[in-house]
Amino acid sequence: MKLLRDILDKQVLDRNHVKIGKVDGLVAELRPGKPPMIVSIELGSITLARRLGQRPGHLMAGLAAKLGGKRHARPHRIAWGKVRDIGIDIELDIDVRETSIFAWQDWLRDHVIGRIPGA
Amino acid sequence: MKKLLEISLGIVTSVGGFLEVGSMATAAQAGATFGFQLIWAVVLGTICIIFLVEMAGRFAAMSHHTISDGIRERFGFNVFLWPFLAALLVNFMVLSAEIGGVAIALEFATGIGFQWWALPAALLAWLLLWKGTFGFIEKGVSILGLVTLCFVVGAVMLKPDWKAVATAAVPSLPAHDGANYWFMAVSILGASISPYLFMFYSSGAIEDHWDESYLGTNRAIAGMGMTFGGTISIGVLIVAALVLATHGIDQVNDYHQLPLMLIPIFGFWGFILFVASLAIACFGAALEVGLQQAYLVAQGFGWAWGEDRKPRDDPGFSAVYTLSLLLAAVPITLGIDPLKLTIFSMALTAASLPLTVVPFLFLLNDERYVGEHRNGFISNAAVIFIIALGFVLALVTIPLQILGGT
Repeated sequence: MKLLRDILDKQVLDRNHVKIGKVDGLVAELRPGKPPMIVSIELGSITLARRLGQRPGHLMAGLAAKLGGKRHARPHRIAWGKVRDIGIDIELDIDVRETSIFAWQDWLRDHVIGRIPGA
Repeated sequence: MKKLLEISLGIVTSVGGFLEVGSMATAAQAGATFGFQLIWAVVLGTICIIFLVEMAGRFAAMSHHTISDGIRERFGFNVFLWPFLAALLVNFMVLSAEIGGVAIALEFATGIGFQWWALPAALLAWLLLWKGTFGFIEKGVSILGLVTLCFVVGAVMLKPDWKAVATAAVPSLPAHDGANYWFMAVSILGASISPYLFMFYSSGAIEDHWDESYLGTNRAIAGMGMTFGGTISIGVLIVAALVLATHGIDQVNDYHQLPLMLIPIFGFWGFILFVASLAIACFGAALEVGLQQAYLVAQGFGWAWGEDRKPRDDPGFSAVYTLSLLLAAVPITLGIDPLKLTIFSMALTAASLPLTVVPFLFLLNDERYVGEHRNGFISNAAVIFIIALGFVLALVTIPLQILGGT
């Protein structure tokens, strides 16, 4: 398996098959004398901005912290051990409701979308 | 029997998607100024979109990915960003032009200026997306869209010189107004080969749960649906060439000249048919482009998406189409000329093609996505041709805009 080809940028589902984002980044641990090991996957706008360069990464991290508070100052990180299945999508053994990944969507639902009649 | 029904429904749907403000306006302009001469551009554009739509459907059926998903996964986020931004911008302008088309039709119907209709039209489109399901929108738009067949009926009733029509299917050099001629050719190609069309089609294939067994259906829908759409465009062009030119209009630079087109054929009903065709075709396209913006963003970032869900279940997705429709109504409300906006956005669409079409070459040849149903020689040749055409169009569009644009 080639990690960058087969894992990065794939769709991620939680255990209830909710689409929670894409694999925006991978975190590897460098081990002396052994090949590096993937320890977790990252999701979210900060990781995406970092892929574009250092400056966009800093800007986005600052923006996220400003809008969402401290808990959003860093990318969402999920341990590799939570990966349950790799197929068309990547399925994680987590429940998105127990994470802060959808905090902005929840905010949007509670403050905007949910207030429009018929939602 | 079920397949047959699906195929006919698909064909009707793609006619609805094909004919929108861009193809109507560019075909009418071309007919008025150059007679039948630019029919070849409609034919060429139709052949190109047949190939792209077939590939988009095949890709979705085989890989269970939409085109946007595929581009992001195969090329990574940094590459994906370019076609993403290009499509977002082009779609925004096209959406605005479609809302403008609806607004103009409502102005014809009521006498109240088009600026006042942009927001109500956008609001109605939003309401349908908010409450409707994918099937409802798909079928509703398509069945109403059949009214545009009146252009084909009109063209036949005018008894054109069919030999001249057939001759014009082969490209020829203009006798006058060279820059204007090529600019119109570019706009027609942009109107026919719309990225929103094939991207929307791949999302639709996923919404309708296509799999390998749909490959035949897909081929039939792409081929016949787009051919039907192209035929209606040619109908518009023929009617414009025969009616507008004989009434002394050889330059269409205002939508108000257009309702005249069908009146000599159908009398007062011609006026009603024209207004209904314009309103329905543009409204249907506005629904599809608005939805496509939401698909594009949601698929690009991996959010929950699907028109059959309730807005509260995919707040990100519904926020995107809500914002898109609202923002796209702004330029028209401010009084930007819908015809100029249409022609400009069609040329811009043509120029953006290399960005959206180059990925096809890789995705449709990648076994990991399409298995044994990879592109054959002809399909690959077609993609390479469209990319090359797109590059040339991108290079010539801007100077032509200055020299020959409206």
